[in-house]
Amino acid sequence: MAKVRILPDRVANQIAAGEVIERPAAVVKELVENALDAGATRIEVEFRHGGRSLMRIEDNGSGMTRDDALLALERHATSKIAEAADLDRLHTFGFRGEALPSIASVSRFELQTRVTDSDVGTEILINGGKFVHVRDCGRPVGTRMEVTHLFNSVPARRKFLKTDATEAAHIVHCVRLYALASPQVAFTLIEDGRVIFRSPECSTLAERVTEIFGQQIAESLIAIDSVEPGLKLSGLIGRPGVGRATRHEMIVFVNGRPVDSRTLNYALIESYHESLPKGRYPLAFVFFECDPAAVDVNVHPAKREVRFRSEPQVRSFVIRSVLQRLREVGAPVVPVVEAQAIRPGAEATLPSGLAPLVVPAPVPRFFAATSPAPIRAALVVPVAITVPQSPVASELSNRDARPEISMTSWRFIGLAHGSYALFETSAGLVLLDRRAAHERIWFDRLVAQFASGAVTSQRLLLPIPLELDPIAAALLIDRTKFLGSHGFEIGEFGRNFFRIEAVPTWMEPADAEPFVRDVLGALRDGRLPENNLALAREELARIAAAKAIRLPAAPAEVALRALVAELFATRTPLTSPSGRPTFIELNHGELARRFQK
Amino acid sequence: MKFKINRDHFANGLAQVLNVVGSKATMPILSNVLIEAEKDQISLSTTNLDLGIRCKIKAEVKETGSVTLPVKRLATIVRELPSVDVTFDGAPNHQVKLTSGGSTFKIMGIGKEEFPPLPEFGDEKAYTLEQSELISMLRSVSYAQSTDETRYILNGVYFNFRDEKLTLVATDGRRLALIAKEMEVPTACAGAIILPAKTVSELNRLLDKGSKVKINFNERRAAFQIATDKDTSGLIDHVYLYSKVVEGNYPNYQQVVPKETHQRIKLERELLLQCVHRAQLVCSEKSNSVKIKISSNLLEIFAASSDFGEAHESMAIGYSGPDLQVAFNPAFLMDPLKALTKDEVFFEVKDEVSPGVFKTLESFICVIMPVRMN
Repeated sequence: MAKVRILPDRVANQIAAGEVIERPAAVVKELVENALDAGATRIEVEFRHGGRSLMRIEDNGSGMTRDDALLALERHATSKIAEAADLDRLHTFGFRGEALPSIASVSRFELQTRVTDSDVGTEILINGGKFVHVRDCGRPVGTRMEVTHLFNSVPARRKFLKTDATEAAHIVHCVRLYALASPQVAFTLIEDGRVIFRSPECSTLAERVTEIFGQQIAESLIAIDSVEPGLKLSGLIGRPGVGRATRHEMIVFVNGRPVDSRTLNYALIESYHESLPKGRYPLAFVFFECDPAAVDVNVHPAKREVRFRSEPQVRSFVIRSVLQRLREVGAPVVPVVEAQAIRPGAEATLPSGLAPLVVPAPVPRFFAATSPAPIRAALVVPVAITVPQSPVASELSNRDARPEISMTSWRFIGLAHGSYALFETSAGLVLLDRRAAHERIWFDRLVAQFASGAVTSQRLLLPIPLELDPIAAALLIDRTKFLGSHGFEIGEFGRNFFRIEAVPTWMEPADAEPFVRDVLGALRDGRLPENNLALAREELARIAAAKAIRLPAAPAEVALRALVAELFATRTPLTSPSGRPTFIELNHGELARRFQK
Repeated sequence: MKFKINRDHFANGLAQVLNVVGSKATMPILSNVLIEAEKDQISLSTTNLDLGIRCKIKAEVKETGSVTLPVKRLATIVRELPSVDVTFDGAPNHQVKLTSGGSTFKIMGIGKEEFPPLPEFGDEKAYTLEQSELISMLRSVSYAQSTDETRYILNGVYFNFRDEKLTLVATDGRRLALIAKEMEVPTACAGAIILPAKTVSELNRLLDKGSKVKINFNERRAAFQIATDKDTSGLIDHVYLYSKVVEGNYPNYQQVVPKETHQRIKLERELLLQCVHRAQLVCSEKSNSVKIKISSNLLEIFAASSDFGEAHESMAIGYSGPDLQVAFNPAFLMDPLKALTKDEVFFEVKDEVSPGVFKTLESFICVIMPVRMN
C-alpha cells in the first residue's frame, strides 16, 4: 500500500491546470483577464493552429517588477485579493492566483514585462513547469506572454483537443466577449498571421458591436439602460421579432465579467416571450451590475458561472426592464394611415370646432378601447412577477408604457401571394403579413373582451360532438366553468364524450372542436394556470387568435388600410401574439445595397 | 364555320355562360367558350369541370362548325361592336374573324377537341317544376348556407325529394332555413342532393327565363334544363346547367326543428325588419346581438355596444303570454325577413336558451339559435 504524501508543486499545478486550463481558449481568457486587470488600454492576441502551437497576449498595462513576476508564478500568489473578505468585493476578473502557474506547468511559457519605474524589463522562461531562466530584456511598459507547445507535458490532454478550427473558434469567441466587455480597450486578434478583427478604442458598446459583429446585427439592436437601487442593466438588446436559433448571441456580463448565467438567460428569454416565437432566442449584449457582495463568482473554476444571492429579485428586475424597453420601441413608425396621429384622449380636449380638420374617422375608436387599462396594470404586475414558473410577460401589465406615435404615411402598393401587403413608406418598403397582423388585432380584442367580461356566446343548432381520452376528459370537466365564462357551453354526453353546445360569437362553429382540443393541450402543458386568471385568459386568446382568422381572398385596399390602422392601435404591433413579426421594413439603405447603388 | 347573328343576342348568350370559367392556369381551355354552329342556332358552353352551362341562341348559320374562344375577352368585344349585325367567320386554323359595321376583329381560338364535353343525362331521377316557384324557394333558404369552407357539407342547399314533397334546407350550424312544397314523388325517384353554393347562385341568376325547369340528378351530379320561353333576346330552347353535387351526409335537420310551439306571435314582416335593422345600427363587431323582450302586447328590441351607444325599438303586437327575453344575432333575424315576400310572419319563442323560429303559412321554417351574454 502506498504511503500518503504531499504532491510536489509541479504535479499539483498540473492538476490545477486540468481544471482551469481545459483548452487553449482558457489560456487566452486567463491572460486577457490579467491584461485587463492590469489596466491595459491596448491588447493584442495572436494564436496559431488553434492555439496549439502559439498564443501570444501583449498589453500596455502596468506590468510587473521582477520580484512580482517571479512570485506570480507561484501557486495562490496574486495581487488582486489579500484576505477572504475581499472575495465579497471583487472588482477584478482574477483572484485565485492559479492561472499563471497552471499555464506554465503545461506549456513552454515565456513572460516579458516592464513597469514604468524600471529601465529594463524582465524575461522569464518556464518549460513544462521547469524553470529555465530569468534575465533582462528590452520592451515597452506592459506585459507580453507567449504560450507555446501547449499541453506538451500532458499528452493526454493534447489528445482531447478538438480540431484547430474548433479551438480557434473558441478563442475568437472568448476574445470577442472580452472586447465587448471593455469597449474602451483596443483589441487586435490575429490568427495564423491574419487579422481576425482589430477594434480601436470605442466610446460605446454599440460601436464595439458594430466593429465585431457587423452593421447588420448592430442595426437590429436597441439600447437598454435601467437602474434600480443596487441593480443596473445596460447594453443592447434585439428588437422585437429579431431572434436567433441558438443562444450564441445572447451575451451577458455580470459586473463586467462574461458569464453563462441561467438566471439571466432565462429572464431574457422570458422577456421576449411574446416578441419572439417559441424556440427562438433573443440577441442581447447586456451588462448586469450589482453589488459584488450580492453575487458569487467563485462557483466554477473558470468563473463561467455565477450565483446570485437573490435570484428572484435579479430575475424580476431584468424582466421588468427588458419588457418595458420592448414595449417602448413597440411602435417606432406608426402609420396612422395618411392622417395626423391622435394621442389617447386628444380628441376630448380639442375644442369641438377644430377637431374635424385633423381627426380621421376610423382611428379614435381603437384608442378609446385601450384607455381604461392602466388601472388594471397596477394590480397585475406584482402578481405576474412573483410567480416564478409562469411566463411573466403578461399582456396585461404595463399598458401605460405605450410609445408615442410618430406620423408616417404608408402608401398601399399591392398584395403579394395573397398574404403580404406591400406599402411604400417614407423610410422604404414595408411588407406586412396579413395573418400575423390579424392575429395581433384579434388577440388584443379578445383579451380586452375577456377582461371586460362581456362575452356573448352563440348557441349551436347542431352541437359539435367531441370524444376525448380519459385524461383530457377529466381536464375538460375540471375547466368547464372557465370555458363557460368565455363563451363555450360544453355538455357531458356520456363517458368521455361531450357536446359543444355554444361557442363565442366570434368563432366559426367549425373551429370549435380543434380549438377545444388545443386548449386541452395547453391545459396539459400547464399553460392555462388555474390560479392566474389573467394569464389563462391570455393563453386562451393566443390560441383563439391563431384559430379565429379567416382571411378574405381579395381584400380591398380600404380593408388593408384599416388593418394597418387597427394593428398600430394595439399595444405591441410589431409582433403577433406568438412572437412572429407582423411586418418587415426594407429601408432605403437596404434597397440601395441590394441594387449595388 | 360561318354565321350571322344579332349583336345583342350574342352578347346576351355570352352573359349567360360568362360566370363559369376555370381558374386553373393548367387548363387554359377552361377560360374559353365553346361555340358550336348548328342549323339556325349556335350553342355556347363554358365549364370549370365542377359546373357547366350551355345556352342556345338563334343565328343565321351558313356553315356549321365549332371553335373555342376566350370568353371574357369575347364578351367584352361583342358588347361593344358598332352594328347590330355581326358576322362570325371561323377558319380551319381556329382563327375567327368577327365583322360588324366598320370593325373587324381577328381572334385566335383553340380547337373544340380539347374542350371537356358537358355530361348529358340519361335515365336519372327527374322532376319538373315551375321556375318561379323554385326561385322563390331558393331565395327563402339560400342565405342560411354556410360560407365557412371547412364545413363544406353545409356550403350548399339541400334538395330532398321524399314523402310526397320537395324540401329545401340550408344551415350554417347556427340557424337553419327550410321550405317545403308538396309534389308527387314516385318511390323510385326519391332522393336528395346537396347543391353547391356556386350552383345555387348561378341558378338564382338563370331562373325566371321561362315557365318550367327540369331537374335531373343522381348521387354525384345534377342538371337543370331551364326553359327560356319568356326570353326576348335570342335565347332559344333551354339553358342547360350541369353541376357536381356536394358528396356527403347532410345533417339531420328534422331533429333541429322544434316540435312544439310555446308562444306564437304574429308579426308584420316589414315592420319587424325595419326595427331590427335600426337597432343593429349601434352594434359593433364586438357586441353583435340584439335583445328581444316580449311582454303583454309589446315587443321591444334593445341593442348596445360599449364603444358607441344604445338603441331601443318597440312595436305593438298581439300577445298575452308570460314575459320573455331572448337575444339573437341581428343578421340572422333580418335575413329571412328580407327573403320572404309575405306580409305576415309568425315568430315562436320559448326562453333565452331555446331557438327562435320564423314560420309562414306556406311551410317555411327558419330556426335561429339565440346568443347569450355572460
